[in-house]
Amino acid sequence: MTSSTLLVLPAGLPWALAAVFALLDGRRAWVGWIAAAGLGASFVSVVLLGLKVLSEGPVEVVAGAWPVGVGITLRADVLSVVFAGVSVGVILVSLLYEVSTGVRSRTFPALVLFMAAGLSGLFLTGDIFNFYVFFEVSMTAAYVLTGYREKDYQVRAAFIFAIVNLFGSVVFLIAVASLYHVTGSLEMQTVAERVSAVSPNSVISIAAAILVAFSLKLGLFPFHLWLPAVYVGSHPPVAAILSGALANIGSYGLLRFGGDILPEELEFGTVAVLVLGSASIVYGALQAVSRRNTDEVLAYSAIGQAGYILVALGVGGPIGFSAAVIYAVVNSLNKALLFLAASLRGPLVGTAFAVGAFSLVGVPPAVGFVAKIAAFKAGLAAGGVVEVMALLAVIFLGSALSFVYMFQLYQRVFLANEPQRSDRSKKTSPRATRALVVALAALVLAIGLWPEPLLVLGERSATDLTGSLGGGLP
Amino acid sequence: MTLAFSLVVAVMFGSGAFLVLQRDLMRVVVGIVLISNSASLFIVAAGLTQGAVPILPVPGGVGAPVSDPLVQAMALTAIIISSSVTALLLSVVYRLYVSHDTVDLTDISEAEVRQAEALERDGDPEEEEAPQEGPGQEEIEEKSR
Repeated sequence: MTSSTLLVLPAGLPWALAAVFALLDGRRAWVGWIAAAGLGASFVSVVLLGLKVLSEGPVEVVAGAWPVGVGITLRADVLSVVFAGVSVGVILVSLLYEVSTGVRSRTFPALVLFMAAGLSGLFLTGDIFNFYVFFEVSMTAAYVLTGYREKDYQVRAAFIFAIVNLFGSVVFLIAVASLYHVTGSLEMQTVAERVSAVSPNSVISIAAAILVAFSLKLGLFPFHLWLPAVYVGSHPPVAAILSGALANIGSYGLLRFGGDILPEELEFGTVAVLVLGSASIVYGALQAVSRRNTDEVLAYSAIGQAGYILVALGVGGPIGFSAAVIYAVVNSLNKALLFLAASLRGPLVGTAFAVGAFSLVGVPPAVGFVAKIAAFKAGLAAGGVVEVMALLAVIFLGSALSFVYMFQLYQRVFLANEPQRSDRSKKTSPRATRALVVALAALVLAIGLWPEPLLVLGERSATDLTGSLGGGLP
Repeated sequence: MTLAFSLVVAVMFGSGAFLVLQRDLMRVVVGIVLISNSASLFIVAAGLTQGAVPILPVPGGVGAPVSDPLVQAMALTAIIISSSVTALLLSVVYRLYVSHDTVDLTDISEAEVRQAEALERDGDPEEEEAPQEGPGQEEIEEKSR
């Protein structure tokens, strides 16, 4: 298969399938299974593309055979392939979970496929306006998915989610138009080259707009207000998709725009980014400790975990960027595992949840340990003594608090005898869903035991961003 | 001209933001429409050059100065996206209106709190599709007022 076909498949395949599945009744089991098979094929194409990118370097195609500089560029480097792989994987697991328990809405498989198409397209594009379009495709699918099951509070959560995130999209769109205005190009590489020649005064406001837009998607501290309302209302697989796949838009956007396109502005705003990240870590952890509802704890924990990614980004350089990539990947896996496992009952589910909890806290051999080490390394790499001490203190505090809230949660969900108010009945969940969650937990453990591939991916992504070969993790 | 455009964009964005903060959901949707359209206007304004024709065909023939057409394609895409998202938002509002007979956010959240309390008394929400306790409870409370 040629590289151009491989580059189109991850987004094109689910997109074409989604268009067909929108017309079919998604509640039928065979429709769901075919959708899952299609998404699986898309995942395989991402993996194949990843292998190609790792061995041959970035793959680039101009859509529609237009000359370079005119047509829309599709581009895959290690960073985009890593994020596409994790996101499509999490969506696939969530779709399998929902199909095996029975889909309740006719549009669910199509929406999930649309979201996968939007996300892969967004990660694999080399054009900032195309990025915005795919971003809207996946966000629109997410608005509808939040209302899945059509309980009143879910519909209301969908409304809040849509309104707040549309604000973010508009801010991002304005930033895209401004970048085009100051550089005269939409292609990421060209923008990155030309933007250093532009007066910093105008670029810094664009960079601030981009930071706000992606912080809103990621749910960082001052922009997090929508996040608990949405995660608490959502059906577990939807919550897993939102926090495990959709939130990756924020981390990827910050890395791509901050690290690749606007590195000088990122350096200029280091203090602001570090302060926002630290505030997120502490605020999310404190709120999570004080909550009792499972989804609420996980939602606030998501705010705290996003803070680590921002701190690593703020530190920058090969070490910081690779830590941000590793943390984002590990966080997606953890959140998907925890949201899915917390809603199940039966043998081995508690173990799977405990693995997820250990991973989130950062206890070996779960993969979270690798991510925490990377975060500590990034903290150590931050400039002066005072900064290093402050960052390490914040990271340590966040981890300690996460230990408290995760095991409070474990105790409340799996050990306590008191009847739960919400839909967590005592019935044993279907074997297929339990097997899925256990498999995800096994994956988390396996990557933790053999972290080299993940570390190499993180390092290669950081190399793509910084454009140098120095530094990196051992 | 730039000043006029920026003023219009600012006023549109500001009025949109004001409307989004209202409790009436229809106003919120209209606010979002205003904000998205202010962004489209911003894009178009960013691509206009003083003294150049805004749109082809150029009266002076080929070679005469013309404004960048790419931003207009971008604005068109943005308009399409915002109109489809508006349709989605309106359908969500309609869905809330059907189940609550109101588009006021305070009324809706009050009704939800009442339903949640009713569910808490009755047990598992998964089993229960329609809020049986909800409307009865609502009437009782209205009478007590």
